[in-house]
Amino acid sequence: MAMEVLILLAGLLIYAGYGIYGLCWLGAAAIVTFLAGLALPKRKWLFWPVIIVNAGLLAVIRLQPVTGVGIAAPLGVSYFTLQIISYLADVRRGKYPPEKNPLTFALYLTYFPHLLLGPIESFDHMKKALGERKITWDGLSAGALRAVWGAFKMLVISASAGVVVGAISASPEKYQGAYALFAMLLYSIELYGDFSGGIDIVLGVSQMLGLGLSENFDAPYFSQTVAEFWRRWHMTLGDWLKNYIYIPLGGNRKGKARRVLNLIVTFLISGLWHGVHYILWGLFNGILVSLGNCLKTKYKTLNRAVTYLLISILWSFFIWPDTMTALKSIASLFTTFNYGALAADILSLGLNAGEWIVFLCSLIILWMNDWKKDRLAVAFAGFSPAARVAVIGALGLLVLVFGMYGIGFEAEQFIYSSF
Amino acid sequence: MERPNKFKTVLSVFMVLLVLIAAFLLLTRLLEPKYAETLTEGSMISQYYEEAGGHEVIFIGDCEVYANFSPMELYRQAGITAYVRGTPQQLLWQSYYILEETFTYETPKVVVLNVNAMRYSEPVNEAYNRLTIDNMRWSASKVGIIQASMTQEETFWSYVFPILRYHSRFDELTKEDFAYFFQNKYSTYNGYQMNKAVNPVGTLPTKRVLSDYQFGDICYEYLDRIRELCEENGASLVLIKAPSVYPYWYDEYDEQMEEYAAQYGLDFYNFLDVTEEIGIDYSTDTYDEGLHLNLSGATKLSVYFADILSQEYGLTDYREDEEISAVYNEKLAAYDAAAAE
Repeated sequence: MAMEVLILLAGLLIYAGYGIYGLCWLGAAAIVTFLAGLALPKRKWLFWPVIIVNAGLLAVIRLQPVTGVGIAAPLGVSYFTLQIISYLADVRRGKYPPEKNPLTFALYLTYFPHLLLGPIESFDHMKKALGERKITWDGLSAGALRAVWGAFKMLVISASAGVVVGAISASPEKYQGAYALFAMLLYSIELYGDFSGGIDIVLGVSQMLGLGLSENFDAPYFSQTVAEFWRRWHMTLGDWLKNYIYIPLGGNRKGKARRVLNLIVTFLISGLWHGVHYILWGLFNGILVSLGNCLKTKYKTLNRAVTYLLISILWSFFIWPDTMTALKSIASLFTTFNYGALAADILSLGLNAGEWIVFLCSLIILWMNDWKKDRLAVAFAGFSPAARVAVIGALGLLVLVFGMYGIGFEAEQFIYSSF
Repeated sequence: MERPNKFKTVLSVFMVLLVLIAAFLLLTRLLEPKYAETLTEGSMISQYYEEAGGHEVIFIGDCEVYANFSPMELYRQAGITAYVRGTPQQLLWQSYYILEETFTYETPKVVVLNVNAMRYSEPVNEAYNRLTIDNMRWSASKVGIIQASMTQEETFWSYVFPILRYHSRFDELTKEDFAYFFQNKYSTYNGYQMNKAVNPVGTLPTKRVLSDYQFGDICYEYLDRIRELCEENGASLVLIKAPSVYPYWYDEYDEQMEEYAAQYGLDFYNFLDVTEEIGIDYSTDTYDEGLHLNLSGATKLSVYFADILSQEYGLTDYREDEEISAVYNEKLAAYDAAAAE
């Protein structure tokens, strides 16, 4: 219990460092949700007012660019708002009883590592994880390795890709066609390295504390369709959208046309959750997911390549700051064929030869890890303590030397923490 | 049976940790700049530790001291033992902490401060901070100088663990990094950086009119602290302005320094006012169009200042001291050989 209190207080202290305003918001949300949860079994009418206030505030924040109504977003608002909604919805439908222990509930909502990036936990899973929490040598070493691996993905892989993406996206008029495509393909790597790396750090630190949180990625770029991709990318958000949007809308129980509509609505909401600029991105993803296996061939590698290409093209809405620029860049893929110029320019896009070599070697390591993830984890578990320390330390040194951080680099900011 | 296994496990983990720490230290050494053949100004600070002690005069300040004043000429002219603890663009707070550190190694009779840095009220450039601070030995003065000097983008930890700053040099390593992995190379003569090139003063940049000529409060705060530090250690503080014709030393600056010196009974020498008396010829005595003096100019200035120092501050003529003259004669021989090359 003392450890739980310590984790809670440490998290709140760090959160307070980002501003008292956010802490007050988070604190008020936690208290209101905790009390509403306790009252909900007897006063079901409380559900909608609390949901509308929470979802409404999040919508106001996300629609701000369109409405102009200003309201500052506290850190992690997207994540803890979804957890509030899922908790109240589950209590209302009787999936589990309301939590009576304020400490357990506070930890569920305010556990600092996942406030930044997720994963978006369901309350019953978090409670189970808290109940089973135990610090062990295996957990400490495997968690440390995972956290360092996350740092490697973020600071070596993602940051390197980010340098090139940044150089290209900064001049959309100059860099079209092949350059735009290159930026899209690299942004897939940048975002994956950054987001999944951040999640690895969250899960690794939690594992060191004995807390087993939900996985958020399952080698998504090995997917053979866009629909599969979304089952393997940001899995906890996908589950949340499925359980609290898609299924309540009727899911696939009301015919094909309604299923397509439900999918598109779900992805539109997903887009809006990221911000109003991403609604079109949500729409296109919804359409591609609706297509299901239509684009799938019998060739696995081809399927994976096509899925990677489609997903990368849709990330354009994340790369370029406004929708028109993103659409123009996508259009340029079909009108501008300057691949020779790109090849000649490769060393003037922010990375020198040495950095390209490091980046490409790191990509191979990432690819191998995603491909053989389970086997590598099993192998590591069989190592002696000294060998484990050696692996963690060696990887840490690689991050220290080859990571892109410090003066001249700003890549250590989590991309996904802004959502 | 269990006990030896546990012991073995702990021992093997301990050994691995030692190897990792060694690898970390070796990588740090490999990646940090050596300042041996290029950017040699970065080794000025560390050279001092090998020669600290026994100096009656310590110069502190920016490039205007290490390029313009030659301790070897001070010795040759008046037997003065002096050391220049100058570094590139040394700011007032840096001068304070370097002087504070100097007093832990020796007790000079005279501290000469070049006041050019009074014009800078905030950290200017991370690279200059590095050249000044990187090679300082760890002490309270180093902690102080880091905290006082950091630009917004810098972190304290990057000074504690330089690999955090220099890790990206992995693809810029040169022969210098390997040749000077285990050794240092120094290139100054008691802190004087010799330059024999001649590049006469040409057309000076237009003199800009400033909106405010008032020195910053922080500069006065550190000037006060330098003055108090000298008083506590029984050293005379002498303020100087080296005869660099650019960047401009405005009359308004001069008035403020005159006023400060008069208020605290300090001597202030603006050598820009006596260049003819010194004999400086800016067509032959500067290597960069008047920013710094070359060897010829530094020799003239040092000879001139040596007379002032020996007459006004009661310094010892160490040319008569057998032990010290032996050391300085050896240094002079190396200095003269370099000058004659």
